[in-house]
Amino acid sequence: MILTAAEQAMLDGDAGIAKQRAMAGLVQLGRAFGAERMVEIGYAHIHAGMALYLDDVELIEELAGEGARMAVPASVNIANADTVDWRRTGAPESLARLQRRAADAHDRMGSACTFTCTPYWAGHWPTWNTHMTSIESTVTIFCNSVLGARSNRDGFFAVYAAIAGRYPLFGYHLDENRRGTHLFEIVDTPEGTSDFSCLGFHIGGIAGDGVPVLRGLARRPSLDELDALGAGMATSGGVALFILPGVTPPFASVEAAFAGRPLPESIAVGRGDIDAVYRRFCTGAADRFDIVHVGCPHASFEEMRDYAARLAGRRIHPDVEFWVTTSRAVRHMAEQAGLLRTIEAAGAKVISDTCPISCHFARTTSPDPALGIVPPPIRTVVVDSAKQAKYVRDMIQCDTLLTTTEGAIETAISGRFVDAHAAARR
Amino acid sequence: MTTGPTVREIAARGIVDGRAEGPALVAREPVSFLGDVDIRSGRIVGDLPSARNAIVAGRVLIFPYTSGSAGAWRFLYQLYKHGKHPVALVTEAVPDPSVVQGAILAGIPIVCAPAERLIGRVENGTMIQVEAAGERGLLRIMG
Repeated sequence: MILTAAEQAMLDGDAGIAKQRAMAGLVQLGRAFGAERMVEIGYAHIHAGMALYLDDVELIEELAGEGARMAVPASVNIANADTVDWRRTGAPESLARLQRRAADAHDRMGSACTFTCTPYWAGHWPTWNTHMTSIESTVTIFCNSVLGARSNRDGFFAVYAAIAGRYPLFGYHLDENRRGTHLFEIVDTPEGTSDFSCLGFHIGGIAGDGVPVLRGLARRPSLDELDALGAGMATSGGVALFILPGVTPPFASVEAAFAGRPLPESIAVGRGDIDAVYRRFCTGAADRFDIVHVGCPHASFEEMRDYAARLAGRRIHPDVEFWVTTSRAVRHMAEQAGLLRTIEAAGAKVISDTCPISCHFARTTSPDPALGIVPPPIRTVVVDSAKQAKYVRDMIQCDTLLTTTEGAIETAISGRFVDAHAAARR
Repeated sequence: MTTGPTVREIAARGIVDGRAEGPALVAREPVSFLGDVDIRSGRIVGDLPSARNAIVAGRVLIFPYTSGSAGAWRFLYQLYKHGKHPVALVTEAVPDPSVVQGAILAGIPIVCAPAERLIGRVENGTMIQVEAAGERGLLRIMG
């Protein structure tokens, strides 16, 4: 790999131990993927340091202790506890205390402690051609496909890139990999974020780690729908970039999305495919669920407005626990706008920094035994997102009931599951 | 005249630097570190018919390619933290960036694209040395 003088100096340790460690890791990563050089990045979405995994918060503290500082604007991914009010989730204080140590380390390093999977709703909004890195695959696909930024699906090394301000030039940082591989003909335009998450889930399962191009939508999806679409694709497949011509910069047409090459045969996607995803994740009994959840990925301000409008003046069923998950930044905006009061008055819990699959409900974690974490018994979770559904099944290892946002809210109010079709008929 | 055990050297592409030695564990299916391997026990719990219930700890894990979530790095690193990690990975295709990042963090060497096919030919338990330095990777099949 060819390094600039400044990059070589970092590798040699002239810029301190943290930058040396970061650059050494990035050089090895670049070599593995045949990168010719590094590129300067403009933004990073980095690992929180997760309290439910052994020595994982310590990993972030170690970097802070080595003098690491963020060279570029950096946001922080979702965490394992609501660090402000963990009691509402039933988490032990020991977990929240450990998670707060990660927040302290981020404060020292200069990373904005957003603790969210949707940093864009909290103001981290990279633009066209910004080279960036992200540890969260939903952030990668949104920034690539909606904003036109350039990101791979990274892991821990997002923090190394943020420290060095560099990333090896490979994968989705290169034009040659930002081209369509599959063409999907959308026969029925979905309505709302849940439908779009199911559409994405279906497409991701076919496209794998390719670049799906979508044609035929009758209208431009909302930002929330685009977010849900990408989250679905990144969950069932390894999709890092989808191209919706006219939306995804700089692709104005289907032909441009395939860089002028012959178009592949298109794959039709209709209502039946979306319904199949709902059915796949409706495994629980309609009258036996423990939690109803909305806000995956973490809710935007617009979604908070929608929840408040649907809940205004109504009451959650006394036997139902209803969770709204969002970032602390959006929660603050919602509070200022009076939305939080409306949502909480209905009996909902607004949780930030974490979500059902990211908190102590997950059974696939490996916390320090001294924390005394015992995942509560959960039979079924009602969700409005295919992403949350997939990971509830894999990580909480219980049944799911997947419906629309409206269906989830009506479920929470009535105490009986309202599926996507029933919700649409209301 | 006695001859020592035969050692066969196979060139490969170096992905993550390091040296390790251990008995082979061969999986014919792609491996997802998020989901297929239990962190605390190192046991393969995923749908890998050729290696189901095998323990990856201490093994040179040989498989075609990595699959699954970008969270794979954390699970590979957690296997290391629990002392249940494979000592080296040998793959046919270049693994996902997330797996490479986890391996660098945990100090687990990776080589890929060996010059000879190993899957279906190397027996489980065969001692293998793995060496990777830069682009250069080398496997030594012992005995």
